[in-house]
Amino acid sequence: MVRMTGLMTAAVALTLALGAPGVADAKDYLLGSQLPLSGNLARVGQGMSEGIAVAVDLANKQYAGKHTFKVTTIDDETSPAKGVAAVEKLIAQGVVALTGGYGSNIIGPASEAAQKAGMVYMTSGGVTPDLTGRGYKTFFRINNTEGYAKAMIGLLGDMQVKKVSVVYLNKEATSNLAKQVQADLSAKGVTVGMHEFDGATSDFKPLLNKVKLQDRPDAIAMVGYENDYVGVLRAAKVLKPDVKAVVGVWSLATAQMAKEFPDLMENVYGTSMLPYPVEFTQPEAIEFSKTYARLFNKEPDYLGQFGYVQTKLLIEAVLRADEAGTLDKGGLADELRKTDAQTLIGRVTFDEKGDNPNFSHRMGQHQQGKVVLVWPPEAANGKMNFPARPW
Amino acid sequence: MLSLTLQALFSGVLAGGYYAMVAVGLALVFGTMRIINLAHGELVLLAAYVAYAAESQYGLNPVMAIPFALVIVGASAALVYALLSRIDQDREINSLILTFGLGIILTNAVLMIWAADIHSTTAPWFQESVVVADTLFAMRSEVVFFVGGLVLMAGVHGWLNHSWQGRAVRALSSNRNAAKLMGVNPRRTEILSFLVAALLATFAGIAIYTGKTIFPSLGHVMTVKAFIITVLAGMGSIPGVLIGAVMIGCIESLTVTYVSASLQELAGMILFLVVLFVMPSGLFGGRKAIAR
Repeated sequence: MVRMTGLMTAAVALTLALGAPGVADAKDYLLGSQLPLSGNLARVGQGMSEGIAVAVDLANKQYAGKHTFKVTTIDDETSPAKGVAAVEKLIAQGVVALTGGYGSNIIGPASEAAQKAGMVYMTSGGVTPDLTGRGYKTFFRINNTEGYAKAMIGLLGDMQVKKVSVVYLNKEATSNLAKQVQADLSAKGVTVGMHEFDGATSDFKPLLNKVKLQDRPDAIAMVGYENDYVGVLRAAKVLKPDVKAVVGVWSLATAQMAKEFPDLMENVYGTSMLPYPVEFTQPEAIEFSKTYARLFNKEPDYLGQFGYVQTKLLIEAVLRADEAGTLDKGGLADELRKTDAQTLIGRVTFDEKGDNPNFSHRMGQHQQGKVVLVWPPEAANGKMNFPARPW
Repeated sequence: MLSLTLQALFSGVLAGGYYAMVAVGLALVFGTMRIINLAHGELVLLAAYVAYAAESQYGLNPVMAIPFALVIVGASAALVYALLSRIDQDREINSLILTFGLGIILTNAVLMIWAADIHSTTAPWFQESVVVADTLFAMRSEVVFFVGGLVLMAGVHGWLNHSWQGRAVRALSSNRNAAKLMGVNPRRTEILSFLVAALLATFAGIAIYTGKTIFPSLGHVMTVKAFIITVLAGMGSIPGVLIGAVMIGCIESLTVTYVSASLQELAGMILFLVVLFVMPSGLFGGRKAIAR
């Protein structure tokens, strides 16, 4: 009897050692992330970093006992040169792929360094068409200028405005988006006034005075970042131009802005995938939100959401490529091109240039301390206040 | 056209007031010690963040936070001075390196303590409109702190010209050895000028918190702007700083109005270079120009 038990134990141990896939194939995967955690883009870099951390945490939970995932993050300090150095260092550390990057001017050279090393670079932090226009085989992103422009144009179209003043930051991504909005609105017969500003601008009154006295628009469209929006809205609040709506893009219709600047934000529109307070109905989204709250003790924002989606898709492709035995033979890019997934930001597929042609944003409006989704109609969870000014 | 020009000039003068508040502290320290304190903008930023902490955590009006900010910024300035005073070789270049490094440390400390989010006062009183003759528009905070800044700068100017300590600062700036022979204690005078610069930095920080947005990398931007204005004015000239700052503010505003907002920094730099080309010592520069 004792001998029989011993034989059975040995047989089970041998089976587990040789045949059980969950144990024999268990691997540790190291992802690399290059992000601006200090400098001008620190706020957005940290937001994306949180989303990446949630994706890694959930992947470790999903594949517990089979695989483990880790992410090594290097701060590029909002500097293109340091972005390249970070990518090179991460590749030298043996990462399987890169997720992160913020700012088209930083992502450009950083992803070029990754391309030279044959390393996949996945991002949601640079939307300029030039990035995918290079045709790099290893470059992927889940969002783009077209998706933001579509949302802004769609909302302004529904408002039936005739004159729009576009106030935009002179960076690559913001200029590209502003020019696309100008082209699309002009094609629809809308008169567009373009007003470029520099990142160092802190007093927008002279610029808004031009808008007020010369353009006399129905709506003001802002393309910039948080501190630019606050400057423009404060100047507008003082000058009170006779407009029907103030519309912006990223980093505007967020919980952060609703909490930090309640007196400025009322009735302002911005791109937003999520309403605030966040309302999730899908199981995956609920899990994401809970994990985000557990790790960071706050509600998720769009930056976290994008960081999560890009990293989740990357992890899934890494596993597929490894199972196919092509991970270390450049097969990850091919696996990513096979992606066709419904995600928290909608359907994601990648074309030959690594762009996601399905990407389209939603528009939210600040209403009494909340962000209500108002466009497109099928995603709306409330009614649009229009005409309505923030002052 | 006239409305645009008047508003541009009005905005430029108010912006110049902000710039001058930051730059005068830098000029004062330079005048006394011949040191460019590259951490000065970060001290301004620190004051702004103290105001933010006081408002967000204790509900204090930003103006009421001035005493707390003054203590913290004053202590930080004293620490900067203590480190600078240990330099005994190649003081000019080593102090630049040291204060640049201290600026980076302060920026990262702000980032670690308060994160990278942008902040500004939530008190609506500061953002209410001030309208003059239905043509000139400003925020209340801009006008209040412009006037307050002028009073403070006039006070510093008067202190430099009419008090014993102020004259000691000027004497030290003029001839260090002669000042020592006349009974001036250089260390005490230098730290006094650092503390007065901290007072100006505190006031500037509160002004910026109430009228603009603050974020960790702002300190460096302010240092660069203050440095340009200090050089434009003539190194160490305090009245010149105010005029130089207003000139920069006005040229920037006019560029925004009549050319492009994205060229405003370039316009300021062109003015700076033209002035230096024509007047290499700056607008009011002499080698020892403090408080003239």
